[in-house]
Amino acid sequence: MKKYWWKILGVLILLYTFFMGLLTPLKTGISEASPMSLHAGRSETVTVVGYNSFFTKEKEKLRAWLKLPNGKALAAKRIDVVDDRVAKLTFDLPSYLPIDTKVKDFTLLIDSPVDGASVLPGGIAVTQDTVNLALADALWPNAEISQLHEKETITFPFRNILGETIRNTYYHVPLWMAMFIILTGGMVFSVIYLIKNDADADRKAMALSNVGLLLGILGIITGAIWAKYTWGKFWSWDVKQNMTAIALLIYGAYFVLRASFEDPEKKARVGAVFNIFAYASLVPLLYIIPKLTDSLHPGAGGNIAFGSEDLDSTMRMVFYPAIIGWTLIGLWIGQIILRTTRLRDRLMEV
Amino acid sequence: MNIFTQIFYLLRKEITLEWRQKYALSGILLYVLSTVFIVYISFQNIGPQVWNVLFWVIMLFASVNAVMKSFVQESGYRQLYYFQLLHPIAILLSKMIYNSLLLLLLGGLTFVALAFIAGNPVQDAGIFALTLFLGSTGFSITFTFVSAIAAKADNSSTLMAILSFPVVIPILLLLVNLSAHSIGLLGSTDIADKTMLLGAVDLILVAMGLVLFPFLWRD
Repeated sequence: MKKYWWKILGVLILLYTFFMGLLTPLKTGISEASPMSLHAGRSETVTVVGYNSFFTKEKEKLRAWLKLPNGKALAAKRIDVVDDRVAKLTFDLPSYLPIDTKVKDFTLLIDSPVDGASVLPGGIAVTQDTVNLALADALWPNAEISQLHEKETITFPFRNILGETIRNTYYHVPLWMAMFIILTGGMVFSVIYLIKNDADADRKAMALSNVGLLLGILGIITGAIWAKYTWGKFWSWDVKQNMTAIALLIYGAYFVLRASFEDPEKKARVGAVFNIFAYASLVPLLYIIPKLTDSLHPGAGGNIAFGSEDLDSTMRMVFYPAIIGWTLIGLWIGQIILRTTRLRDRLMEV
Repeated sequence: MNIFTQIFYLLRKEITLEWRQKYALSGILLYVLSTVFIVYISFQNIGPQVWNVLFWVIMLFASVNAVMKSFVQESGYRQLYYFQLLHPIAILLSKMIYNSLLLLLLGGLTFVALAFIAGNPVQDAGIFALTLFLGSTGFSITFTFVSAIAAKADNSSTLMAILSFPVVIPILLLLVNLSAHSIGLLGSTDIADKTMLLGAVDLILVAMGLVLFPFLWRD
């Protein structure tokens, strides 16, 4: 039992991430608003489609605002709830807006005692005919946004471009992180092999690289499935997808190289040298080059990723354990590969 | 003999050897010329973007062919002789420098041939020359080291391609990008960044090669 605690821990953590990651509901959000552009000086009605929302419960306490980045806000004059998902908001827009450009993106904010506050960031563009800040300040009926409700239950954040696919953060990203940890381990064992000339270190390096390749393939598959639902295609020839495919090719080449030697000592030595060389060329591949070019992937070009506001604390509660869980399971698989290779090598000696 | 004199003598040996058996050098030159000609016949009309990509693809394949022989074609006895006489770092560095010079020549020739047949779209010759220099050093470093690895195996020519192409792709991407700047396909905002990055990748690979080669070498 003492020997197996980390395997049990790995399984438990993964079960926890599957359970929490798939069953926790998303926070209430706004998935759509139409029309998306309004004109100043008119009374305009916006139809809002909510996500996981319950507009009909306590609908008289529903409040809505159009908010500017500088904190100024305009309250909705009337709110007609159609059903739980759809509501019509009517705004009386003054003729002049407190902004110094003709067009500005406003953030739509809805607050309900049942669902808490939900936002559509920069979702509504408002156009005015002329800019006049002095008149605008006089006309603008500023509404203080206060006493927003918080939803009591545990939820994941809602992003209208991601929707439910935000859950892939717990499967795709930790798989990659675990792959990196395990490949780094493999590289370290290759270094140890070259220094100490210990055949077992090379077996460990080989086993870990094997697991790393497996995790990488899983990572690329989960990423492709996610891309199908958010980018529209499994494979978009995005720079990050290309780079990862190349990284997997490099590790594929490592195994082809090993297979082409008969002599176990030579196999281990040349394999270790190539493993270290490949690892050194993998890091610039995966980190620097995608940053140089435009990418659709989260973390590039204003897409959401792991900034402090993008990954909230409930997501961290699942995300970090998932990395540890996948790493432990990877080590377990690696240990099995290691033990079978040891047995095979012993058979060869006999 | 210290390492620098060793490198110097090895370099002189490589160049003399190449000059004496001209068939290898002229073979590669003919390879480039016929590839450029085939490309021209197939494309007829080559725009700047296609020109850029074609240039680097021709360079890539010609380089693999040119560099492959550096370790693969050395006989085992001569390697044994070197092993007793010289420092491994001197051997690797001399091969890398020699191959860089060879690839620079090759790149120049490819450029002249492609420019002669399909026109010369290069606007900023300085950046293009810099890219060519960084590219030939990068290719030479990677391919020389990989050929040292592949030479240890039996089916080395297949291994050479399998091992070196994935490793060289980031360098190739940066090169295509940089030379697109010199042709005027991209705005010239982050040329310095990309040049530095390419230099850094080259340096990392040289450093890895120098550290790892002594382990690879002893047989």
